[in-house]
Amino acid sequence: MAEIQLRNIKKRWGHVVGVDNFDLTIADKEFLVLLGPSGCGKTTTMRMIAGLEDATDGDILIDGVRVNDLEPKDRDVAMVFQSYALYPNMNVYENIRFPLKVRGVDTALHDERVMQAAERVELTDFLDRKPAALSGGQRQRVALARAIVRKPKVFLMDEPLSNLDAKLRVSTRAQIKNLSHDLAATTIYVTHDQIEAMTLADRVVVMKKGVVQQVGSPTEIYDTPANTFVASFIGNPAMNLVDGEMTGGTFRAPNVEIAGLAGPDGRVTLGFRAEDASVANAGGEINAPIYTLELLGDATMVSVRIGGQLVAVKADKTFRSEIGDPVSIHVHKDHCHLFHAETGARIGE
Amino acid sequence: MSSKAMKQPVALRTFSTIFVVLWLIVAAFPFLWTLWGSFKVELDFFSKADWRNALTGARTMVEHGSAFTSTGYEGAWVQEEFWRAVLNTAIVCFFTVTISLTIGTLGGYALSRSSYRYTFWLLITALIFRAMPPITLVAGYLLPFFEWNLWGILPTTIIVLVAINQPFTLWMLHSFFQKIPKELDESAKVDGCTQFQAFRHVIIPVMWPGVITTGLFSFLLAYNDFAVTSMLLSKENQTMVPKIASFLGTTQTEGNVMFAVAAVVSATAPLFILVMFFQRQIVSGLTQGAVKG
Repeated sequence: MAEIQLRNIKKRWGHVVGVDNFDLTIADKEFLVLLGPSGCGKTTTMRMIAGLEDATDGDILIDGVRVNDLEPKDRDVAMVFQSYALYPNMNVYENIRFPLKVRGVDTALHDERVMQAAERVELTDFLDRKPAALSGGQRQRVALARAIVRKPKVFLMDEPLSNLDAKLRVSTRAQIKNLSHDLAATTIYVTHDQIEAMTLADRVVVMKKGVVQQVGSPTEIYDTPANTFVASFIGNPAMNLVDGEMTGGTFRAPNVEIAGLAGPDGRVTLGFRAEDASVANAGGEINAPIYTLELLGDATMVSVRIGGQLVAVKADKTFRSEIGDPVSIHVHKDHCHLFHAETGARIGE
Repeated sequence: MSSKAMKQPVALRTFSTIFVVLWLIVAAFPFLWTLWGSFKVELDFFSKADWRNALTGARTMVEHGSAFTSTGYEGAWVQEEFWRAVLNTAIVCFFTVTISLTIGTLGGYALSRSSYRYTFWLLITALIFRAMPPITLVAGYLLPFFEWNLWGILPTTIIVLVAINQPFTLWMLHSFFQKIPKELDESAKVDGCTQFQAFRHVIIPVMWPGVITTGLFSFLLAYNDFAVTSMLLSKENQTMVPKIASFLGTTQTEGNVMFAVAAVVSATAPLFILVMFFQRQIVSGLTQGAVKG
């Protein structure tokens, strides 16, 4: 249906750089997630694709056609806004029907198409209601239905779940995934929630301050983060990062000594994930007093302080100890990631 | 609401009821007094002998054989052709409201959606013009209007009233538009609207209460204006307010003051009807802000 090419697009407001040199080809039917903290330029990138924001530089192509100078209505995209942006004076039926109406779709088809879209998101009982009389989740589904009622080339979703409560978020997330699979349309989804990115995406783009940090499948991003920013943004808890010295393949920091690593001598940042380490009785690579102990139900999170940083380790759910007790943590060298101390870039591989 | 009010102590309820009733009487008294007096003769309503004559209509009884007389109304409407003034007011109001609302909605919308800084200075300039007494504008206009032979006719007055009124409508509509989230426009544009279609199909329906409220204020300004209309209109083109003033100015002829009183009642009645008719929109316009999608 639609391949989107972004060629070195930039967005500047005076001296402020919103998005810098974004260069990516999004394959047909791909589910791409733009992930990053607020102000990282992910929404701006999406708005440039939608045509709601002009790119300062670079080309945007949909199916090989440059769309930079096209109005949003001529780009054949549909968008779900964070605030849903439902038309408050129209009822649910009219809201869903609106895109068909303004685009001059044959009126004989309207009813069938609206009913199909409403059924897809289970809204058929609420068609007469005004948006004000709907719950947050229902409004969200109206926005979805309005987007799918016509068959656009591209779906754009701007944090569609961020206004929902935690429970509803999980079920709506599943619904969106199912919907995008069925519709097989190219989808670009903006979020700051790394769990949404991991669960929904074919590919994730991690952004920071307008610059793309890493592009890859959720597994790649999780297993081989390109730098310390990605490492600390993805995963719950985020990857443990410890500053230290490498000498002859051995990493040393206060209370830490890990041997057998492949990396240059000098100052580096070592990273490992909480679930890749285990609590041992003695002889582990990290030996320090327990800083805090958190019971999560399925596991116990044990934290120690190394230098200024907290290092968390997932222990068995039956693990019990007291704050201040010494603990030994075992970290296998194969699970360690090394990053450049200054730039934060990944070392090796 | 009423049930909650009923839970208050009896003393408080009695006090507040009495207070409201008293307040109503005080507030409504001038109107009721004028309405009552408009059916009397001048010597009763403006009696030097006994103010109660205005209530009982002693002189009216002597002159017309009844405590009520419609001579004031007849004099104003038939003899002095007050209906012409009514017609002129209607024309002035209609065009002032239509023109300033058209420019105000388009301009207010554009200003509310513009990201340039000059919009702020445009609005500040508008505010300065709004703050000036209307008469200062009129003084400057008078000479060119005489020179170009534009003085005394309705279109000139309409243009001046629009000029005085426009800053206010622009401000008011601008703030109404700002309360409507930009996502609504953007959503409409992605759904297939041009900028103007988004404005017409999505924004204006949400804006109705704001437009009606602003329109009503514009209407009242044009309806009640004295400074501009009295300076710029010739005698035959006068609107109601300067006409009433001219009735009051001719105290030599007994009874003419009563034309003014009758005309005042005639001019006030439509306002009551109008406000009552639009009260729902006005209230929702003044309390708008619940438009969140």
